[in-house]
Amino acid sequence: MSAPVLPRTPRQRLRSEMWRHRHFYLFISPFFLLFAVFGLYPLLFSLYLSFVKWDGMTAMQWVGWANFLSMLDDEILRRAVENTLLIGMLYVPPMLILAFLFAQALNAQWLKLRALYRAAFFLPCVTPMAVIAVVFGLIFSAEKGVLNFVLLQLNRALPFLHLQPIPWLTNESWSKVAVAILVIWRWTGYNMILMLAGLQGIPADYYEAAMVDGANGFQRMRHITLPLMRPTFRFCGLLSLLGTIYMFDEIFVLTSGGPGTSSTNVGLYLFNISFNDFRFGYASCVGYTIATFVFIGTLILQRRNRREEGSV
Amino acid sequence: MNNRKPNGLVSGLIIGCVIASVFWLLRTSPHSGAAESQTNFVVPAAHPEGKVTVWSWNIAAKSLQHLAPQFERTQPAVKVDVDMTGARMQTRLMLSLAAGVGAPDVSQFELTDAPRYIATGKLTDLTSVAERYRSRFPASLWDNCTRNGRVYAIPWDIGPCGVFYKRDLFQRYGIDPAKIETWDDYIAAGKTIFQRSGGRTKMLPLGSNSLRPMFEMLIQQNGGQVFDDQGRIAINSPQARQALAVIQKMRAAGICSDIALWSQEFLAGLNDESIATYPIAVWFAGTIKDTVKDFAGKKADWGVFRLPAITPGGLHVANLGGSVLVIPAQCRNKAAAWAFVEYALCTNAGQLEQYKSMSLFPAYLPALETPVLDEPDPFFGGQKTGRLFATDVTKISRLNRTPAWGEAIRYLDQELSRWAAGGMQSDGFFENLALKMHRRLDLPIAPPAVAANLAPQSPGEPIRRRPQ
Amino acid sequence: MRPQRTPLQRTIGRTCLTIVLSLLALIFLFPFYWLFVSAFKTQAQIFTVPPDWLPHPATVRNFVDLYRETDLPRALLNSVVISGGHVLLSLFLCSLAGYAFAKFPQAPGHSKLFAFVLGTMMIPGAVTLIPTFLVMVKLHWINTYWAMIIPGAAGAFGIFWMRQYIGANVPDDLIHAARIDGCGEFGIYWRIVLPIAKPALAALGIMQLISSWNNLMWAFIVLRTRDMLTLPVVIYLLQGEMRTPYGMLMAGGLLTALPLVLAFLLFQKQFISGITAGAIKQ
Repeated sequence: MSAPVLPRTPRQRLRSEMWRHRHFYLFISPFFLLFAVFGLYPLLFSLYLSFVKWDGMTAMQWVGWANFLSMLDDEILRRAVENTLLIGMLYVPPMLILAFLFAQALNAQWLKLRALYRAAFFLPCVTPMAVIAVVFGLIFSAEKGVLNFVLLQLNRALPFLHLQPIPWLTNESWSKVAVAILVIWRWTGYNMILMLAGLQGIPADYYEAAMVDGANGFQRMRHITLPLMRPTFRFCGLLSLLGTIYMFDEIFVLTSGGPGTSSTNVGLYLFNISFNDFRFGYASCVGYTIATFVFIGTLILQRRNRREEGSV
Repeated sequence: MNNRKPNGLVSGLIIGCVIASVFWLLRTSPHSGAAESQTNFVVPAAHPEGKVTVWSWNIAAKSLQHLAPQFERTQPAVKVDVDMTGARMQTRLMLSLAAGVGAPDVSQFELTDAPRYIATGKLTDLTSVAERYRSRFPASLWDNCTRNGRVYAIPWDIGPCGVFYKRDLFQRYGIDPAKIETWDDYIAAGKTIFQRSGGRTKMLPLGSNSLRPMFEMLIQQNGGQVFDDQGRIAINSPQARQALAVIQKMRAAGICSDIALWSQEFLAGLNDESIATYPIAVWFAGTIKDTVKDFAGKKADWGVFRLPAITPGGLHVANLGGSVLVIPAQCRNKAAAWAFVEYALCTNAGQLEQYKSMSLFPAYLPALETPVLDEPDPFFGGQKTGRLFATDVTKISRLNRTPAWGEAIRYLDQELSRWAAGGMQSDGFFENLALKMHRRLDLPIAPPAVAANLAPQSPGEPIRRRPQ
Repeated sequence: MRPQRTPLQRTIGRTCLTIVLSLLALIFLFPFYWLFVSAFKTQAQIFTVPPDWLPHPATVRNFVDLYRETDLPRALLNSVVISGGHVLLSLFLCSLAGYAFAKFPQAPGHSKLFAFVLGTMMIPGAVTLIPTFLVMVKLHWINTYWAMIIPGAAGAFGIFWMRQYIGANVPDDLIHAARIDGCGEFGIYWRIVLPIAKPALAALGIMQLISSWNNLMWAFIVLRTRDMLTLPVVIYLLQGEMRTPYGMLMAGGLLTALPLVLAFLLFQKQFISGITAGAIKQ
């Protein structure tokens, strides 16, 4: 188009800039379109649903804050939150420690066949939980499972340990342990890779300088590795925290939340009220509340991390 | 920064338009369910044909599987496929109903859930073909299968209640079951047994977390309700208080074993001397017969007597459990589906076959009147337990099981547990429960007079709180 | 100077560590071994105590039963179509948007839009589950491939990932030159950017493939009839209320897990680079 004689207003300039880069907007539009339909609309509609009573099929009923009040009284929700915390405490520390140790080992110069170990520990991540959880179900079987068989044999060999066969899936406490073991098995490799990347980001000179100063292995670990790995640890911890709350596949297939509700976590509970009870209003309310708490918690953690790192 | 403002405005407008159009395109119409049910009903065919998929569970499914060949002989062009595999059947069923695709041609529900599913509007209206069977089922069941006068589910089996007792224990401690007329008699007998057994034998299992079935039985005996005819909360009533008083008396008498229903101890109690009686529905007989085989130890000698009434001359009957069959609206082959449902539930042949094969107690009244139910049961010492349970089945009180029943019962459960664990303080119990239900379910509370009389009153009556 | 440890001590230490590591690796691999071995056992063999470490005798009965009683070939087709479709769509949309964000820094609102994209990663899926289901019902996409392919196809992480790589590896001069030569924007994307971005595409593709293939929850919700189920759902549904045919389950499980295990073993590097990139961004 021919250049106009009059000076162009900022708006005209903007519009022609945008037109010049029109492909930019075109190329990113699929994301925004999909987000509008599958992200923004659900987000807002879910917020709205938190204030209604609805089964997805009949008429909606506005109930105001009733759903939120129900949450305070909801014993199963309370139990789900407890279970989430317990399962998290059961599996996160061992998993992170194990992942760190594996990462250290894989980072060692002298290790041969590194790729094999990496594959062995990482393979659990890529398998479908629908399949693996059933295998674990067999392994955890109280009467016929391999695990209890091994325990019995160990008991025979080392009777002073008093090892008994464990009711992995039928006991309210042990079911949580069983879930924890499954999750450790599955996600250790993933965290190991993350930690490996973190380890490899530590310059070798630090270690050399420390060795020159006469520091031994433990001291090197304590003063160099651990402090510098803190961001990685935090990241892994955060991922694990979020994972525990919303974890679904593992519990769905291994224990279905049972026995009773003893291994139901928040994720499974949300699924149950959504698609088993079809209480869409209440489910949205619970989902939103949990997400809000998690969000605030994450923000607080991030701020504390940044402050800590700033002071270091 | 002159060009920031128009930048924001333009992008804001664009985003706003996109969102608005998305919302407009996806606006939900909550009344589509109702529209569906207006046009969906069964057109009976003289020669129905095709495949009928049935979803069912456990013993009920086995019963239908057993019945299918017999049915297919009467309708050779119909093939029945009973599917009882697959985890999470209820979830999948609800998802399919909500989504309008994937539901079976025939599905089982529990009677107590029926109103909730019927209210979704996703079930076939069976009135045109099933209305004539109305009088052949107990009114208490049929009522839960209808909505606005139209029928959507057919009652299948019923769970009339009685008391299973161990004959040897009763003999040993000198209790005559024929003399137990009321719950007071029952409690007295329980005390006797407890004393004479040196505290070893309790009369019944009634754990603090398992009070609800007993409560449900009791309010059926004195005409209590959780909801009234109009779906208002009617649990704060003299009948409810009376029922709770019975439970309180039982627990206070020390005759209750504090174990959970279906727990290991519960089942073990079938074989040892810790529990003398099990007041529960007829379908428990199957469990007794199965479990007694499993546990080592002396097999008890069993019998049944009628449920004690609350007051002399009161009702001796109540119902726990029972299922229905429905045809989801999305079924493509309603004629064939109905042919199967009709055969299985509305004929003597169908119902009695299921009774004989899997001990499903027919809800179909003509079947109950046949001599099949007069057969003595060797397991119960030759007692004609069938006839005992079938007695007065039509007198079973009708419970208004509205769509909110499941949730309301959950709150009742919680509050009863709390009541039992917290010293059984009954003052204001039902008042608080009614308020809680009112808040959670957003349903009005029926005026106290209505709750007491169970007669419908004119709507719009203000809720009157009881004077303190 | 190194701290004093004799070579012998060092060797012993390393050998011990290697042994421990190997033992742990074997423990981690045990469930795979058990899956493989159980697929060839009968139900009775699976439940014998002491456990049969190898099936005596091995049987392929499970696979036959699986073929006869479930619609496994169809499930395999569904999984392939859905995963393949999702991966292709995802790669296309993410690389397109990634290219746009990487190479158009002068477009107005560019950084704010990208910050918005990153921000969307914070939305937990649990909150959007129900409305997304309702959208599917409304669009009549329930029980179709669309419901599995479209949502999540243009994920924020994918866009970030591609932008990162394209920004670092596609020289601006190349793009300028192509424009001068009259190549259209889409042509530039297709003929220049994509070939260079192949490694990043491979990594992202693997990640998407694995999450799509293994998806259980959404598939369980959205796929309603037997002929549309994916492999994981078929496996899950084999668990019955009364009786679970474990032999068949193991056989089906093996078939479901195998493609991904192979894909992983072949593309280990790509996958792992994708994971570590996710860490760096935080």
